[in-house]
Amino acid sequence: MSDPRIQRLADVVVNYSTELGEGDLVLIQGPELAEPLIVEIARAALAAGAIPHVRASIQGVDEAYLAAAGDAQLDHLPAYALEEMDAIDARISIHAAWNTRELSGIEPAKLARRSRAAQPVMGRFMERSAAGDLRWCVTAYPCDAFAQDADMSLDAYTDFIYRAGWLHLDDPAAAWRTYAGRLRGLADRISEVRTLRVVAEDTDLSVAVAGRTWIASRGERNFPDGEIFTGPLETGTSGDVRFSFPAVMGGREVQDVRLRFQGGRVVKSEAAVGGAYLDQMLAMDPGATVLGEFAIGTNYEVTQFTKQILFDEKIGGTCHMALGAGYPDTGSVNRSGLHWDMVCDLRSGGEIHADGEVIYRDGAFLPSFFADDLAVPVA
Amino acid sequence: MRDPRLTTLADLLCRYSLEVGEGDTVLIDGPPLAQPLFVELVRKVTELGAHPMVRPRLERVQAAFLAEAGHEQLRAVTRLDQIEVEAPTRALSIWGQRNNRFASGIDPNRQAIRSAATRPLFERFFEREAQGDVRWCGTAFPCDAAAQDAGMSLTEWEDFVYSAGHLLDPNPIAFWETQSARQAEIAERLQQVRELRILGEDTDLTIDVSGRLWMNADGHQNFPDGEVFTSPVEVATRGHIAFSLDAPYHGNDVTGVRLWFEDGKVVREEATKGERYLSQMLDMDEGARYLGEVAFGMNDEIQSGTRDTLFDEKIGGTCHVALGMAFPEAGGRNLSGLHWDMVCDLRSGGEVYGDGAVIYRDGRFL
Repeated sequence: MSDPRIQRLADVVVNYSTELGEGDLVLIQGPELAEPLIVEIARAALAAGAIPHVRASIQGVDEAYLAAAGDAQLDHLPAYALEEMDAIDARISIHAAWNTRELSGIEPAKLARRSRAAQPVMGRFMERSAAGDLRWCVTAYPCDAFAQDADMSLDAYTDFIYRAGWLHLDDPAAAWRTYAGRLRGLADRISEVRTLRVVAEDTDLSVAVAGRTWIASRGERNFPDGEIFTGPLETGTSGDVRFSFPAVMGGREVQDVRLRFQGGRVVKSEAAVGGAYLDQMLAMDPGATVLGEFAIGTNYEVTQFTKQILFDEKIGGTCHMALGAGYPDTGSVNRSGLHWDMVCDLRSGGEIHADGEVIYRDGAFLPSFFADDLAVPVA
Repeated sequence: MRDPRLTTLADLLCRYSLEVGEGDTVLIDGPPLAQPLFVELVRKVTELGAHPMVRPRLERVQAAFLAEAGHEQLRAVTRLDQIEVEAPTRALSIWGQRNNRFASGIDPNRQAIRSAATRPLFERFFEREAQGDVRWCGTAFPCDAAAQDAGMSLTEWEDFVYSAGHLLDPNPIAFWETQSARQAEIAERLQQVRELRILGEDTDLTIDVSGRLWMNADGHQNFPDGEVFTSPVEVATRGHIAFSLDAPYHGNDVTGVRLWFEDGKVVREEATKGERYLSQMLDMDEGARYLGEVAFGMNDEIQSGTRDTLFDEKIGGTCHVALGMAFPEAGGRNLSGLHWDMVCDLRSGGEVYGDGAVIYRDGRFL
């Protein structure tokens, strides 16, 4: 018998996250090793009246392509890529891997070049998403590669993933609906703030957010979920930040990243390991040195760092920020081929100040600012 | 270590079969189990300056779709489907399955509805092919399901598949060029014939091929390959034919098929196994009861039936016909969602007459 949590996950992403309905064309993408979940999502989509279109990826193909591709190929954006982006009503992406270091032998400049070429597609994706024309969700499927990065067995990691989505509950969607209401309350409350200041070890960073929209990320676009985020004012970030967790991207790990911002831009970057890669990514395009996102993780079922951003950025008691492209629906106007999330742990002594007043300490909002419970709602 | 035969196969498919060049968009579709071939193909395509468009198909998703889709969903053709038909300038289909019976529980009517719905896609693709806008090739990746059906181990099956493609020859491309010249001669001779009459056990079938073009299948559209074929005049086939080899279609076992034709149309069909399925497929649409193809297999490396049409129809010394969709490039006009090849062994006593004269006996052209 298959793990019933796979069906619950499929049900939640189809009927809660993306709310697929009659005639919706949904692109389901993920590595072929996630086949059990791909099949269940396709089934749930059919039951909802939608038309599933599966785009699976195959181990080793991306590496073979990137290793052999020249500049002309990396720069080539097929016309159909935009057409496809226009055609779909929804997209469900499944994160999983055979090997998270699959691309470690590929020159980072090649990856950056391909991302740059794909920028119009990412732009169109974000526009359609902001206009409400495209619903999407990113989820994950348990695999050995992710488990290994998290220092866990596959069984332990499987439990971790499903617990993070509250799939151990009989009716996870109901719990997410209740939680969504509370999280919206938090987003409304924080919308009154003009400037946030994050204070932690080696960190004192001011982020201007006045007039920007805060979004309660409640299991629609990411699953599991649990964060509130916005797009900071592009010229309003200043000060220093040190990311307690390694920053992971494209199969590479950059450790102990420290950034200094002035007038919204990174003016100094340092890392204990992987500094050259960090600098290459920051040099990708002008938008890559500007924050596209600032967010606070609010899923208190996710407690440990596992080197998968989908989970790490949700850890209750952390904040994160992304260099590069911002989400237009937050009001961000930053454009880039990059979107690199980096996480800062605030659970031991971290503070967030709002326009001069402390609102958050040691990984939780102070009741004076937000009194509602952000733990998993149980019926 | 990589199987070097796969590297050779990818090289041959790209440089000989499809002649991939700089700037081509190359669609590669197939099952995930063909992963080693996907990787070799993507590497080769990219080295040649082209752009791979990789589209793996998951058979469990296909089965779930066919089994569970509602009527409108079953008929849906989306922009994403159309793009796969319109965008490529080269297309390669890799054939292989985890389980050749993966669709065996599906109601054939539902399969027929789906085939009818996707027919315009195939027609459009054939049209682009005929205009020279895209070239297509299908190839087999050795998998356990096919090995099992052929009664072999995977290792034996791999050896068989790669021998059939002459991939162990010092220069496989040179072999296929020679084979191509040999087949071209036969095709030229057949081009002079107006009417074919096939005689064999329980078989006496007359097929009008006047004015149609004989095509040389020399590894450009199928690999392995080795046949000459055309599309018959639609309304002229008459007589009866018994197929000595199994005729599996879409994972359905059909054996001992016998067909009776009048004025081009199948007026009676029988099968020792799968007769109901056969009838359902023939009732799929208007064109399904008419021949879209008649052909002679000419690959002498393939000697016995494998229950895999790609190989069986190439067996040196056999002929085959296909019900349904014809080849416009051969002058065929029959349209259908069906294209079902059925093979007849002519190696023991079979004869073919061309306009009244014997031109073929016991599996060989005279």
